Amino acid sequence: MAPRRSVAGALVGPATLAVVLGLLVPLAILFRYSLNRFVPGRLMVEALTAENYVKFFTDPYYVAVLLRTLRVSGICMVLCLVLGFPLAYALARTGSRWKSVLVMLVVLPLFVGNAVRAAGWMVMFGSRGLLNTLLGVVGLIDRPLQLMYTEGAVIVGITAINLPFMVLTLESVIEGIDPAIEDAAASLGARPLQVFRRVILPLALPGVLAGTILVFILGMNAYATPILLGGPRFQMMGPLVYGQFAGLNNWPFGAALSFVLMTATLSLSAVSNLWIQRRYRR
Amino acid sequence: MARIELEAISKRYGDVHAVRDFSLVIEHGELVVLLGPSGCGKTTTLRMIAGFVPATSGRIRLGGRDVTNMPAHRRNTGLVFQGYALFPHLTAAENIAFGLQMRKLPEPVVREKVTRALRLVRLDDLGDRLPRQLSGGQQQRVALARALVIEPDALLLDEPLSNLDAKLREEVRVEIRQLQRALGLTTVMVTHDQDEALAMADRLVVMSAGAIQQIGTQRELYEHPRNRFVAGFVGRTNFLRGLLVEPGVFRSDGGLTLRYDGRSAPAGAVAPGASPSGARRALALRPERLAIGALADSARANRVAGTVEFASYLGAIIEYYVRLSSGEILRVHAPNTGAAGDRAWALGETVHVSWPVEVGLVLEDEHQPEEDHR
Ligand SMILES: Nc1ncnc2c1ncn2[C@@H]1O[C@H](COP(=O)(O)OP(=O)(O)OP(=O)(O)O)[C@@H](O)[C@H]1O
Ligand SMILES: [Mg+2]
Repeated sequence: MAPRRSVAGALVGPATLAVVLGLLVPLAILFRYSLNRFVPGRLMVEALTAENYVKFFTDPYYVAVLLRTLRVSGICMVLCLVLGFPLAYALARTGSRWKSVLVMLVVLPLFVGNAVRAAGWMVMFGSRGLLNTLLGVVGLIDRPLQLMYTEGAVIVGITAINLPFMVLTLESVIEGIDPAIEDAAASLGARPLQVFRRVILPLALPGVLAGTILVFILGMNAYATPILLGGPRFQMMGPLVYGQFAGLNNWPFGAALSFVLMTATLSLSAVSNLWIQRRYRR
Repeated sequence: MARIELEAISKRYGDVHAVRDFSLVIEHGELVVLLGPSGCGKTTTLRMIAGFVPATSGRIRLGGRDVTNMPAHRRNTGLVFQGYALFPHLTAAENIAFGLQMRKLPEPVVREKVTRALRLVRLDDLGDRLPRQLSGGQQQRVALARALVIEPDALLLDEPLSNLDAKLREEVRVEIRQLQRALGLTTVMVTHDQDEALAMADRLVVMSAGAIQQIGTQRELYEHPRNRFVAGFVGRTNFLRGLLVEPGVFRSDGGLTLRYDGRSAPAGAVAPGASPSGARRALALRPERLAIGALADSARANRVAGTVEFASYLGAIIEYYVRLSSGEILRVHAPNTGAAGDRAWALGETVHVSWPVEVGLVLEDEHQPEEDHR
């Protein structure tokens, strides 16, 4: 037993080192920055102050950005789950020879870069885009709808990007559920909806958790999509952080924003994790 | 009263005939075993009864209700799957309670029935364990309790014992049989283990390539197999191929002239008078009905000399492969009586195999039905 444990220790060593050097050290430095003071003209001044955090939570603008980010990520997460589950289930249970092709189709959008994809959405949603033109031709509308640069466009965009992550995560978990178990439930009198609620959902729970958390984190940190589809007046946390660092050179406030974003993301993931586990396990 | 009536049910997958024209009535409280080689359609038949697989044609009735187009969850069948298919996230007790909860029984009633079911399968103390914390035999009994507790119209068992070791298998099969009798459950069990089939069944259905070969009791199938496939599949059998010379006389391809008694030939077997002389046939000889000795036994009509080519000590019997003077091989099972006069035969030793006329059974020398459909 002992030799095996030391081998295992040696094997996780490099990964641990990478995490410490690549993640924890920069995080520590970033946290230290967030306690510094920003003086225009002199940039970052050594200090030990909470004023960056105070600024964030007392300014309604920033709080609104945080709330909007939470709302958009939350809605995208739910959409991904609702849209992704049936797709993942169908993929996991198909006996078709084309299964690997279908999986590729799900992943395909990830091959297209963010900017290219957003350009595609513009073609779709623009005031002279496909959707508006179609609606106009059919006669449902007489002047173009504002589709671009809305929260709706951002939600559609982020959901589309994140869906493959959800589908693949769920698919692998559902594939591990023995189909005979579903038959067993049916033979015991469970209607299809009950089979789903009482058997498939609890057993797929690890996948649901992993998928929702993954998608939520991706949504919280979305950068390109909010900018490209939301336009200049639509702010989310990701672009805001970047703006502070790159645009305004305000590193202390940017660092504080990063920490607020990270803390919100992590704590919400942890809470939802616990809640779902308690609700559905057993 | 739950009787299972299967009327010419068939199942096709593309051009694979998984089950063809399967007709059978299983009486209330009867245990019928489906027996056959792998891929012959046993599971498919069971799944059609349970409602997981729609029949391509034919009708299914459970207790007089036509359930042919009824979805599985409304059929009230208790199924024990090959791998048990317990719910891994539920305890043994919760697994058993599942079907009762689906029937919306009040919680106290559920609890009471689950307790009784656990006691029935002798798992009183293990209700709180998850399936992975139970041994194979215990899981099997949870699966059985889960199927029984809903008081199914039909109990369907798909190789329920295949994951158990030989000793446990014998124990559990007795348990299942006793429970099934006590509760009067109409049961269809699938197995490809002959011993299991012979030990448990009221009646057996021998299948091959999706079709019923013969239905009958153990004795009927063993003594009066309808064709070569059944004779070869139920118990062990030697087949000598050859020609009918005249009624009661068979000439093997190796040149042996052998006598048999065709008077008691059952339906399907070839009566000596009914076949034209010169017809190709197979002579079936059960190994335990052949005697082996140093001298030819003149009291028996058939006596052939040969040499022992191979011997297996199987405990209760000793199995010899005897190469006959004609070049053909016969398997002979000699009882291991332990009596002083008995002796074991060494490899290469010259022996005589003999048997009376009533042992030989003449059957059509057809191909194995399996071979036809490949
Ligand atoms: N879903 C399916 N699609 C296509 N063919 C199938 C399907 N299910 C079963 N078959 C075919 O139908 C035939 C019967 O299968 P079945 O599972 O009933 O056999 P079985 O008698 O239970 O075999 P075993 O003893 O190995 O369990 C087989 O040839 C099998 O390949
Ligand atoms: Mg099978």
